[in-house]
Amino acid sequence: MSALIELEGVVKQFPGDTEPVLAGISLEVGRGELVALIGPSGCGKSTVLNILAGLIRVTSGTLRINDRDARVSYVFQRPRLLPWRKVRRNVEFSLEQADVTGAARRRAAEAAIERVNLTGHEDKYPHQLSGGMQQRVALARGLAIEPSVLLLDEPFGALDALTRSYMQEELLGIVRGTGTTALLVTHDIDEALLLADRVLVMSSRPGRIKHELRVPFGTERSLDALLQDPEYGRIRSELRHLLRPEVVEELNG
Amino acid sequence: MVDELRTRVTARRGGASHRRRALRLSPRLLVRLLLFLTAIGVLFLAWVLGSHHYPDYILPGPQPVWDSFTSMLDRGVWARQVEATLGHMFTAYGITIGIGLPLGILIGRFWVVEDLSRALLIFLQTVPTIVLIVLALIFVGTTATGVIAVTVASCLPYFTLNVIQGTKSIDRDLIDMARSYRAGELTIMRSIIVPSVVPYFLAGGRITLGVAWQVTLFGEYLMGTPGIGFQVSAAIKLLDTPSVYAWGLSVVGLTIAFEYGVFRPVEAVLTRHMRRAE
Repeated sequence: MSALIELEGVVKQFPGDTEPVLAGISLEVGRGELVALIGPSGCGKSTVLNILAGLIRVTSGTLRINDRDARVSYVFQRPRLLPWRKVRRNVEFSLEQADVTGAARRRAAEAAIERVNLTGHEDKYPHQLSGGMQQRVALARGLAIEPSVLLLDEPFGALDALTRSYMQEELLGIVRGTGTTALLVTHDIDEALLLADRVLVMSSRPGRIKHELRVPFGTERSLDALLQDPEYGRIRSELRHLLRPEVVEELNG
Repeated sequence: MVDELRTRVTARRGGASHRRRALRLSPRLLVRLLLFLTAIGVLFLAWVLGSHHYPDYILPGPQPVWDSFTSMLDRGVWARQVEATLGHMFTAYGITIGIGLPLGILIGRFWVVEDLSRALLIFLQTVPTIVLIVLALIFVGTTATGVIAVTVASCLPYFTLNVIQGTKSIDRDLIDMARSYRAGELTIMRSIIVPSVVPYFLAGGRITLGVAWQVTLFGEYLMGTPGIGFQVSAAIKLLDTPSVYAWGLSVVGLTIAFEYGVFRPVEAVLTRHMRRAE
Protein backbone atom coordinates (compact mmCIF):
# COMPACT_ATOMS: atom_id res chain seq x y z
CA MET A 1 0.00 0.00 0.00
CA SER A 2 1.39 3.36 -0.96
CA ALA A 3 1.86 6.17 1.50
CA LEU A 4 -1.03 8.57 1.98
CA ILE A 5 1.10 11.69 1.88
CA GLU A 6 4.12 11.97 -0.39
CA LEU A 7 6.40 14.96 -0.76
CA GLU A 8 9.23 14.73 -3.24
CA GLY A 9 11.97 17.31 -3.57
CA VAL A 10 9.73 20.11 -2.44
CA VAL A 11 11.35 23.51 -2.68
CA LYS A 12 9.68 26.67 -1.47
CA GLN A 13 11.10 30.12 -1.89
CA PHE A 14 9.01 33.17 -1.11
CA PRO A 15 9.25 36.08 -3.54
CA GLY A 16 11.94 38.52 -2.49
CA ASP A 17 13.80 36.02 -0.29
CA THR A 18 17.44 35.30 -1.06
CA GLU A 19 17.32 31.66 -0.01
CA PRO A 20 14.54 29.10 -0.04
CA VAL A 21 12.64 28.20 3.13
CA LEU A 22 12.55 24.58 2.08
CA ALA A 23 15.41 23.19 0.06
CA GLY A 24 14.17 19.89 -1.25
CA ILE A 25 11.98 18.14 1.29
CA SER A 26 11.03 14.54 0.65
CA LEU A 27 8.86 12.63 3.05
CA GLU A 28 6.14 10.04 3.22
CA VAL A 29 3.43 9.50 5.75
CA GLY A 30 1.69 6.14 5.68
CA ARG A 31 -1.99 5.60 6.31
CA GLY A 32 -2.76 5.78 10.01
CA GLU A 33 0.77 6.90 10.76
CA LEU A 34 1.62 9.78 13.06
CA VAL A 35 4.78 11.57 11.99
CA ALA A 36 6.42 14.41 13.87
CA LEU A 37 8.43 17.08 12.12
CA ILE A 38 10.82 18.60 14.60
CA GLY A 39 13.26 21.45 14.17
CA PRO A 40 14.30 24.89 15.38
CA SER A 41 11.88 27.74 14.92
CA GLY A 42 12.06 29.32 11.50
CA CYS A 43 13.20 26.13 9.78
CA GLY A 44 10.10 25.93 7.61
CA LYS A 45 8.22 23.21 9.48
CA SER A 46 4.98 25.15 9.31
CA THR A 47 5.56 25.86 5.64
CA VAL A 48 5.38 22.12 4.99
CA LEU A 49 1.93 22.03 6.61
CA ASN A 50 0.78 25.16 4.78
CA ILE A 51 1.75 23.49 1.52
CA LEU A 52 -0.15 20.33 2.42
CA ALA A 53 -3.18 22.38 3.43
CA GLY A 54 -3.14 24.07 0.04
CA LEU A 55 -2.51 27.51 1.53
CA ILE A 56 0.70 28.08 -0.42
CA ARG A 57 2.14 26.63 -3.61
CA VAL A 58 5.44 24.87 -3.94
CA THR A 59 8.19 26.50 -5.98
CA SER A 60 9.19 23.10 -7.34
CA GLY A 61 8.84 19.46 -6.46
CA THR A 62 5.75 17.31 -6.15
CA LEU A 63 3.20 16.77 -3.48
CA ARG A 64 0.60 14.02 -3.44
CA ILE A 65 -2.19 13.01 -1.13
CA ASN A 66 -3.11 9.57 -2.42
CA ASP A 67 -6.78 9.67 -1.64
CA ARG A 68 -9.21 11.28 -3.97
CA ASP A 69 -11.64 12.12 -1.16
CA ALA A 70 -9.07 13.02 1.46
CA ARG A 71 -10.41 15.32 4.10
CA VAL A 72 -7.69 17.50 5.51
CA SER A 73 -7.97 19.22 8.88
CA TYR A 74 -5.47 21.77 10.07
CA VAL A 75 -5.07 22.63 13.74
CA PHE A 76 -2.93 25.71 14.27
CA GLN A 77 -0.88 26.93 17.18
CA ARG A 78 -3.47 29.56 17.96
CA PRO A 79 -7.09 28.35 18.01
CA ARG A 80 -8.22 30.67 15.18
CA LEU A 81 -11.84 30.50 16.23
CA LEU A 82 -14.43 32.85 14.81
CA PRO A 83 -15.10 35.21 17.76
CA TRP A 84 -18.69 35.86 16.64
CA ARG A 85 -19.64 32.21 16.64
CA LYS A 86 -20.48 30.12 19.65
CA VAL A 87 -18.54 26.92 20.30
CA ARG A 88 -21.07 24.75 18.48
CA ARG A 89 -21.05 26.91 15.37
CA ASN A 90 -17.27 27.14 15.38
CA VAL A 91 -17.06 23.36 15.32
CA GLU A 92 -19.68 23.29 12.59
CA PHE A 93 -17.53 25.55 10.41
CA SER A 94 -15.46 22.65 9.10
CA LEU A 95 -18.60 20.58 8.54
CA GLU A 96 -20.21 23.39 6.54
CA GLN A 97 -17.23 23.41 4.19
CA ALA A 98 -17.50 19.62 3.87
CA ASP A 99 -21.18 20.03 2.89
CA VAL A 100 -22.49 18.20 5.92
CA THR A 101 -25.92 19.65 6.57
CA GLY A 102 -28.87 19.59 8.92
CA ALA A 103 -29.15 17.00 11.65
CA ALA A 104 -26.01 15.18 10.51
CA ARG A 105 -24.00 18.36 10.99
CA ARG A 106 -25.42 18.93 14.44
CA ARG A 107 -24.73 15.35 15.48
CA ALA A 108 -21.16 15.39 14.15
CA ALA A 109 -20.44 18.66 15.96
CA GLU A 110 -21.86 17.34 19.20
CA ALA A 111 -19.81 14.16 18.93
CA ALA A 112 -16.63 16.14 18.30
CA ILE A 113 -17.36 18.46 21.20
CA GLU A 114 -17.89 15.47 23.42
CA ARG A 115 -14.65 13.93 22.26
CA VAL A 116 -12.65 16.92 23.46
CA ASN A 117 -14.64 17.02 26.72
CA LEU A 118 -16.40 20.30 26.10
CA THR A 119 -19.99 19.11 26.40
CA GLY A 120 -21.94 21.79 28.24
CA HIS A 121 -19.94 24.64 26.71
CA GLU A 122 -21.61 24.55 23.28
CA ASP A 123 -23.35 27.88 23.69
CA LYS A 124 -20.39 29.91 24.86
CA TYR A 125 -18.45 32.39 22.81
CA PRO A 126 -14.69 31.80 22.46
CA HIS A 127 -13.79 34.71 24.74
CA GLN A 128 -15.65 33.00 27.56
CA LEU A 129 -13.28 30.02 27.42
CA SER A 130 -9.73 29.54 28.65
CA GLY A 131 -6.89 29.18 26.14
CA GLY A 132 -6.84 25.42 26.63
CA MET A 133 -10.57 25.14 26.05
CA GLN A 134 -10.35 27.31 22.94
CA GLN A 135 -7.68 25.04 21.55
CA ARG A 136 -9.91 22.06 22.27
CA VAL A 137 -12.66 23.73 20.26
CA ALA A 138 -10.17 24.12 17.41
CA LEU A 139 -9.32 20.45 17.74
CA ALA A 140 -13.00 19.53 17.73
CA ARG A 141 -13.47 21.61 14.58
CA GLY A 142 -10.65 19.62 13.00
CA LEU A 143 -11.94 16.26 14.17
CA ALA A 144 -15.61 16.84 13.34
CA ILE A 145 -15.16 16.13 9.64
CA GLU A 146 -13.41 12.83 10.47
CA PRO A 147 -10.31 13.88 8.58
CA SER A 148 -8.18 11.39 6.73
CA VAL A 149 -5.25 13.76 7.24
CA LEU A 150 -4.74 15.80 10.38
CA LEU A 151 -2.16 18.59 10.21
CA LEU A 152 -1.04 19.80 13.60
CA ASP A 153 1.12 22.90 13.90
CA GLU A 154 2.42 23.04 17.46
CA PRO A 155 -1.17 22.69 18.55
CA PHE A 156 -0.37 22.81 22.25
CA GLY A 157 2.53 25.23 22.07
CA ALA A 158 0.64 28.09 23.61
CA LEU A 159 -0.68 26.07 26.56
CA ASP A 160 0.75 25.68 30.03
CA ALA A 161 2.71 22.50 30.70
CA LEU A 162 -0.01 20.66 32.62
CA THR A 163 -2.78 21.41 30.13
CA ARG A 164 -0.41 20.52 27.34
CA SER A 165 0.45 17.06 28.58
CA TYR A 166 -3.21 16.35 29.30
CA MET A 167 -4.19 17.38 25.79
CA GLN A 168 -1.34 15.43 24.22
CA GLU A 169 -2.61 12.22 25.77
CA GLU A 170 -6.16 13.04 24.77
CA LEU A 171 -5.06 13.65 21.19
CA LEU A 172 -3.07 10.43 21.16
CA GLY A 173 -6.16 8.48 22.20
CA ILE A 174 -8.31 10.15 19.54
CA VAL A 175 -5.85 9.73 16.67
CA ARG A 176 -5.11 6.11 17.55
CA GLY A 177 -8.78 5.36 18.05
CA THR A 178 -9.81 6.67 14.65
CA GLY A 179 -6.79 5.59 12.60
CA THR A 180 -6.24 9.14 11.43
CA THR A 181 -3.06 9.97 9.57
CA ALA A 182 -1.34 12.89 11.21
CA LEU A 183 1.62 15.14 10.58
CA LEU A 184 2.67 17.02 13.68
CA VAL A 185 5.00 19.99 13.64
CA THR A 186 6.68 20.71 16.94
CA HIS A 187 9.88 21.90 18.56
CA ASP A 188 9.14 19.89 21.69
CA ILE A 189 11.12 16.64 21.81
CA ASP A 190 8.91 15.11 24.51
CA GLU A 191 5.80 15.86 22.52
CA ALA A 192 7.29 14.24 19.43
CA LEU A 193 8.31 11.13 21.34
CA LEU A 194 4.99 10.82 23.12
CA LEU A 195 2.87 11.14 20.01
CA ALA A 196 4.75 10.06 16.91
CA ASP A 197 5.58 6.78 15.21
CA ARG A 198 8.43 8.47 13.42
CA VAL A 199 10.31 11.68 14.05
CA LEU A 200 11.84 13.67 11.21
CA VAL A 201 14.49 16.15 12.28
CA MET A 202 14.75 19.26 10.16
CA SER A 203 17.79 21.45 9.70
CA SER A 204 17.65 25.19 10.19
CA ARG A 205 16.95 27.37 7.20
CA PRO A 206 17.04 26.37 4.40
CA GLY A 207 14.96 23.50 5.68
CA ARG A 208 15.94 19.94 4.89
CA ILE A 209 15.23 16.67 6.59
CA LYS A 210 18.51 15.65 8.11
CA HIS A 211 17.56 12.67 10.22
CA GLU A 212 14.79 10.16 10.63
CA LEU A 213 14.07 8.24 13.80
CA ARG A 214 11.57 5.48 14.38
CA VAL A 215 10.03 5.74 17.82
CA PRO A 216 10.13 2.28 19.45
CA PHE A 217 7.51 2.65 22.15
CA GLY A 218 4.47 1.01 20.53
CA THR A 219 1.13 2.70 20.18
CA GLU A 220 -0.11 2.55 23.76
CA ARG A 221 1.89 5.29 25.41
CA SER A 222 1.67 7.54 28.37
CA LEU A 223 4.13 10.11 29.56
CA ASP A 224 4.44 8.32 32.90
CA ALA A 225 5.45 5.04 31.29
CA LEU A 226 7.89 6.78 28.95
CA LEU A 227 9.61 8.61 31.76
CA GLN A 228 10.43 5.28 33.42
CA ASP A 229 11.83 3.76 30.23
CA PRO A 230 15.66 4.11 30.01
CA GLU A 231 15.39 3.96 26.23
CA TYR A 232 13.37 7.16 26.34
CA GLY A 233 16.23 9.07 27.95
CA ARG A 234 18.65 7.76 25.37
CA ILE A 235 16.52 8.73 22.37
CA ARG A 236 15.68 12.03 23.93
CA SER A 237 19.33 12.99 24.29
CA GLU A 238 20.07 11.73 20.78
CA LEU A 239 17.43 14.11 19.44
CA ARG A 240 18.74 16.93 21.59
CA HIS A 241 22.18 16.47 20.12
CA LEU A 242 20.79 16.43 16.61
CA LEU A 243 18.86 19.62 17.19
CA ARG A 244 21.41 21.60 19.13
CA PRO A 245 23.66 22.64 16.21
CA GLU A 246 20.54 23.64 14.26
CA VAL A 247 19.33 25.85 17.05
CA VAL A 248 22.78 27.43 17.41
CA GLU A 249 22.92 28.07 13.68
CA GLU A 250 19.44 29.56 13.70
CA LEU A 251 20.37 31.84 16.60
CA ASN A 252 23.55 33.04 14.92
CA GLY A 253 21.84 33.49 11.59
CA MET B 1 -20.90 62.46 28.23
CA VAL B 2 -23.09 59.47 28.98
CA ASP B 3 -21.11 57.76 26.27
CA GLU B 4 -17.95 58.44 28.12
CA LEU B 5 -19.38 57.11 31.35
CA ARG B 6 -20.30 53.91 29.62
CA THR B 7 -16.87 53.49 28.05
CA ARG B 8 -15.13 54.00 31.35
CA VAL B 9 -17.31 51.50 33.11
CA THR B 10 -16.74 48.95 30.35
CA ALA B 11 -13.01 49.54 30.45
CA ARG B 12 -12.92 48.93 34.18
CA ARG B 13 -14.77 45.71 33.94
CA GLY B 14 -12.22 42.99 34.08
CA GLY B 15 -13.49 39.52 33.29
CA ALA B 16 -15.16 37.43 35.92
CA SER B 17 -15.72 40.00 38.62
CA HIS B 18 -17.15 42.77 36.48
CA ARG B 19 -20.64 42.50 37.87
CA ARG B 20 -19.48 43.05 41.40
CA ARG B 21 -17.18 45.85 40.37
CA ALA B 22 -19.92 47.58 38.44
CA LEU B 23 -22.00 47.58 41.60
CA ARG B 24 -19.17 48.98 43.64
CA LEU B 25 -18.81 51.70 41.06
CA SER B 26 -22.42 52.72 41.06
CA PRO B 27 -22.27 55.43 43.80
CA ARG B 28 -19.59 57.11 41.73
CA LEU B 29 -21.73 56.66 38.67
CA LEU B 30 -24.63 58.25 40.50
CA VAL B 31 -22.48 61.26 41.38
CA ARG B 32 -21.44 61.63 37.77
CA LEU B 33 -25.04 61.39 36.62
CA LEU B 34 -25.97 64.09 39.11
CA LEU B 35 -23.16 66.30 37.81
CA PHE B 36 -24.47 65.76 34.29
CA LEU B 37 -28.00 66.73 35.32
CA THR B 38 -26.64 69.71 37.23
CA ALA B 39 -24.90 70.91 34.08
CA ILE B 40 -28.19 70.67 32.19
CA GLY B 41 -29.86 72.62 34.97
CA VAL B 42 -27.21 75.34 34.83
CA LEU B 43 -27.58 75.67 31.06
CA PHE B 44 -31.33 75.88 31.41
CA LEU B 45 -31.03 78.53 34.11
CA ALA B 46 -28.62 80.53 31.98
CA TRP B 47 -31.13 80.34 29.14
CA VAL B 48 -33.96 81.59 31.38
CA LEU B 49 -31.85 84.43 32.81
CA GLY B 50 -30.40 85.36 29.43
CA SER B 51 -33.82 85.48 27.83
CA HIS B 52 -34.82 88.30 30.24
CA HIS B 53 -32.11 90.51 28.78
CA TYR B 54 -32.92 89.97 25.13
CA PRO B 55 -36.03 90.43 23.05
CA ASP B 56 -37.81 87.30 21.87
CA TYR B 57 -36.58 87.61 18.32
CA ILE B 58 -32.98 87.18 19.56
CA LEU B 59 -33.17 84.89 22.59
CA PRO B 60 -36.67 83.70 23.40
CA GLY B 61 -37.16 82.06 26.81
CA PRO B 62 -38.27 78.47 27.31
CA GLN B 63 -41.96 79.42 27.39
CA PRO B 64 -42.27 80.95 23.89
CA VAL B 65 -40.12 78.12 22.48
CA TRP B 66 -42.39 75.57 24.13
CA ASP B 67 -45.47 77.40 22.85
CA SER B 68 -44.06 77.42 19.36
CA PHE B 69 -43.31 73.70 19.64
CA THR B 70 -46.79 72.75 20.88
CA SER B 71 -48.42 74.96 18.26
CA MET B 72 -46.46 73.18 15.51
CA LEU B 73 -47.35 69.89 17.07
CA ASP B 74 -51.06 70.75 17.22
CA ARG B 75 -51.19 71.92 13.65
CA GLY B 76 -49.47 68.74 12.50
CA VAL B 77 -46.61 70.79 11.06
CA TRP B 78 -44.06 69.16 13.33
CA ALA B 79 -44.92 65.60 12.38
CA ARG B 80 -45.09 66.44 8.67
CA GLN B 81 -41.75 68.22 8.53
CA VAL B 82 -39.99 65.70 10.73
CA GLU B 83 -41.32 62.95 8.51
CA ALA B 84 -40.01 64.72 5.41
CA THR B 85 -36.57 65.26 6.90
CA LEU B 86 -36.27 61.75 8.28
CA GLY B 87 -37.38 60.48 4.88
CA HIS B 88 -34.57 62.40 3.16
CA MET B 89 -32.04 61.47 5.77
CA PHE B 90 -32.74 57.77 6.07
CA THR B 91 -33.07 57.30 2.33
CA ALA B 92 -29.64 58.88 1.97
CA TYR B 93 -28.31 56.89 4.92
CA GLY B 94 -29.61 53.65 3.43
CA ILE B 95 -28.11 54.42 0.03
CA THR B 96 -24.80 55.34 1.69
CA ILE B 97 -24.65 52.00 3.51
CA GLY B 98 -25.85 50.13 0.44
CA ILE B 99 -23.04 51.58 -1.65
CA GLY B 100 -20.40 52.10 1.02
CA LEU B 101 -20.42 48.64 2.56
CA PRO B 102 -19.70 46.62 -0.58
CA LEU B 103 -17.48 49.38 -1.96
CA GLY B 104 -15.44 49.58 1.24
CA ILE B 105 -15.01 45.81 1.37
CA LEU B 106 -13.96 45.65 -2.28
CA ILE B 107 -11.51 48.54 -1.81
CA GLY B 108 -10.09 46.94 1.31
CA ARG B 109 -9.65 43.60 -0.42
CA PHE B 110 -8.44 44.56 -3.88
CA TRP B 111 -5.85 47.23 -4.56
CA VAL B 112 -7.13 47.72 -8.11
CA VAL B 113 -10.50 48.88 -6.80
CA GLU B 114 -8.72 51.02 -4.23
CA ASP B 115 -6.74 52.88 -6.85
CA LEU B 116 -9.76 53.23 -9.13
CA SER B 117 -11.95 54.73 -6.43
CA ARG B 118 -9.34 56.85 -4.68
CA ALA B 119 -9.94 59.94 -6.82
CA LEU B 120 -13.71 59.87 -6.27
CA LEU B 121 -13.39 59.46 -2.51
CA ILE B 122 -10.84 62.25 -2.19
CA PHE B 123 -13.06 64.49 -4.32
CA LEU B 124 -16.13 63.78 -2.20
CA GLN B 125 -14.18 64.28 0.99
CA THR B 126 -12.77 67.64 0.01
CA VAL B 127 -15.39 69.30 -2.20
CA PRO B 128 -17.38 71.88 -0.18
CA THR B 129 -20.93 70.80 0.59
CA ILE B 130 -22.15 74.15 -0.64
CA VAL B 131 -20.75 73.37 -4.10
CA LEU B 132 -22.48 69.99 -4.07
CA ILE B 133 -25.73 71.72 -3.17
CA VAL B 134 -25.39 74.19 -6.02
CA LEU B 135 -24.59 71.34 -8.41
CA ALA B 136 -27.65 69.44 -7.19
CA LEU B 137 -29.78 72.56 -7.73
CA ILE B 138 -28.52 72.84 -11.28
CA PHE B 139 -28.97 69.17 -12.10
CA VAL B 140 -32.14 68.12 -10.30
CA GLY B 141 -33.68 71.32 -8.94
CA THR B 142 -35.33 71.81 -5.56
CA THR B 143 -36.57 68.29 -5.10
CA ALA B 144 -36.11 65.66 -2.43
CA THR B 145 -33.79 63.86 -4.85
CA GLY B 146 -31.37 66.78 -4.70
CA VAL B 147 -31.20 66.76 -0.91
CA ILE B 148 -30.74 62.99 -0.87
CA ALA B 149 -28.03 63.10 -3.53
CA VAL B 150 -26.06 65.77 -1.69
CA THR B 151 -26.36 63.87 1.59
CA VAL B 152 -25.21 60.61 0.02
CA ALA B 153 -22.26 62.35 -1.64
CA SER B 154 -21.21 63.90 1.67
CA CYS B 155 -21.70 60.78 3.77
CA LEU B 156 -20.16 58.23 1.45
CA PRO B 157 -16.47 58.93 2.13
CA TYR B 158 -16.88 58.87 5.92
CA PHE B 159 -18.69 55.58 5.90
CA THR B 160 -16.59 53.92 3.22
CA LEU B 161 -13.28 54.88 4.84
CA ASN B 162 -14.36 53.13 8.03
CA VAL B 163 -15.36 50.00 6.18
CA ILE B 164 -12.05 50.03 4.28
CA GLN B 165 -10.16 50.27 7.54
CA GLY B 166 -12.18 47.38 8.96
CA THR B 167 -11.58 45.23 5.89
CA LYS B 168 -7.86 45.86 6.05
CA SER B 169 -7.63 44.93 9.71
CA ILE B 170 -9.12 41.48 9.21
CA ASP B 171 -7.22 38.64 10.86
CA ARG B 172 -5.46 36.89 7.95
CA ASP B 173 -5.09 33.80 10.11
CA LEU B 174 -8.85 33.32 10.12
CA ILE B 175 -8.96 33.49 6.35
CA ASP B 176 -6.17 30.90 6.13
CA MET B 177 -8.05 28.71 8.56
CA ALA B 178 -11.13 28.91 6.34
CA ARG B 179 -9.08 28.19 3.22
CA SER B 180 -7.52 25.13 4.82
CA TYR B 181 -11.06 23.73 5.06
CA ARG B 182 -11.57 24.59 1.40
CA ALA B 183 -13.93 27.48 2.03
CA GLY B 184 -14.76 29.48 -1.10
CA GLU B 185 -14.53 33.25 -1.51
CA LEU B 186 -18.25 33.62 -0.84
CA THR B 187 -18.05 31.77 2.45
CA ILE B 188 -14.99 33.75 3.49
CA MET B 189 -16.85 36.95 2.66
CA ARG B 190 -19.96 35.93 4.59
CA SER B 191 -18.42 34.12 7.54
CA ILE B 192 -15.27 36.12 8.15
CA ILE B 193 -15.00 39.42 6.33
CA VAL B 194 -18.46 40.83 6.96
CA PRO B 195 -18.52 39.94 10.68
CA SER B 196 -14.99 41.34 11.09
CA VAL B 197 -16.10 44.64 9.64
CA VAL B 198 -19.05 45.03 12.02
CA PRO B 199 -17.32 47.17 14.70
CA TYR B 200 -16.01 49.51 12.00
CA PHE B 201 -19.41 49.48 10.32
CA LEU B 202 -20.96 50.64 13.59
CA ALA B 203 -18.35 53.33 14.19
CA GLY B 204 -18.73 54.53 10.61
CA GLY B 205 -22.51 54.36 10.87
CA ARG B 206 -22.48 56.62 13.90
CA ILE B 207 -20.24 59.29 12.36
CA THR B 208 -22.17 59.09 9.12
CA LEU B 209 -25.48 59.59 10.84
CA GLY B 210 -24.18 62.84 12.37
CA VAL B 211 -23.03 64.01 8.95
CA ALA B 212 -26.33 62.95 7.40
CA TRP B 213 -28.30 65.10 9.86
CA GLN B 214 -26.17 68.15 9.19
CA VAL B 215 -26.14 67.88 5.43
CA THR B 216 -29.83 67.01 5.11
CA LEU B 217 -30.84 70.09 7.10
CA PHE B 218 -28.33 72.26 5.27
CA GLY B 219 -29.61 70.96 1.94
CA GLU B 220 -33.24 71.58 2.83
CA TYR B 221 -32.39 75.05 4.08
CA LEU B 222 -30.57 76.10 0.94
CA MET B 223 -32.57 74.21 -1.64
CA GLY B 224 -35.96 75.03 -0.18
CA THR B 225 -37.03 71.40 -0.02
CA PRO B 226 -39.77 70.64 2.53
CA GLY B 227 -38.36 69.52 5.86
CA ILE B 228 -36.92 70.87 9.09
CA GLY B 229 -34.16 72.79 7.28
CA PHE B 230 -36.67 74.66 5.18
CA GLN B 231 -38.82 75.40 8.23
CA VAL B 232 -35.82 76.96 9.94
CA SER B 233 -35.09 79.08 6.89
CA ALA B 234 -38.74 80.23 6.70
CA ALA B 235 -38.85 80.96 10.44
CA ILE B 236 -35.73 83.13 10.23
CA LYS B 237 -37.20 85.15 7.37
CA LEU B 238 -40.31 85.78 9.50
CA LEU B 239 -38.18 86.62 12.56
CA ASP B 240 -39.93 83.71 14.27
CA THR B 241 -36.92 82.89 16.44
CA PRO B 242 -38.82 80.67 18.94
CA SER B 243 -39.54 78.25 16.07
CA VAL B 244 -35.85 78.13 15.20
CA TYR B 245 -35.06 77.14 18.79
CA ALA B 246 -37.92 74.66 18.83
CA TRP B 247 -36.61 72.98 15.68
CA GLY B 248 -33.05 72.96 16.97
CA LEU B 249 -34.08 71.27 20.21
CA SER B 250 -36.31 68.87 18.28
CA VAL B 251 -33.31 67.69 16.28
CA VAL B 252 -31.32 67.23 19.50
CA GLY B 253 -34.17 65.17 20.92
CA LEU B 254 -34.57 63.09 17.75
CA THR B 255 -30.85 62.37 17.62
CA ILE B 256 -30.79 61.18 21.22
CA ALA B 257 -33.96 59.14 20.71
CA PHE B 258 -32.43 57.45 17.67
CA GLU B 259 -29.15 56.79 19.47
CA TYR B 260 -30.82 55.02 22.38
CA GLY B 261 -33.89 53.67 20.63
CA VAL B 262 -32.25 52.21 17.54
CA PHE B 263 -28.49 52.51 17.42
CA ARG B 264 -27.59 51.10 20.82
CA PRO B 265 -29.95 48.10 20.60
CA VAL B 266 -28.65 47.26 17.12
CA GLU B 267 -25.10 47.65 18.37
CA ALA B 268 -25.81 45.38 21.33
CA VAL B 269 -27.11 42.65 19.03
CA LEU B 270 -24.27 42.94 16.53
CA THR B 271 -21.53 42.92 19.17
CA ARG B 272 -23.06 40.40 21.56
CA HIS B 273 -20.12 38.07 21.12
CA MET B 274 -17.81 40.80 22.36
CA ARG B 275 -19.57 41.37 25.66
CA ARG B 276 -17.85 39.99 28.67
CA ALA B 277 -20.76 37.99 29.97
CA GLU B 278 -20.47 35.21 32.51
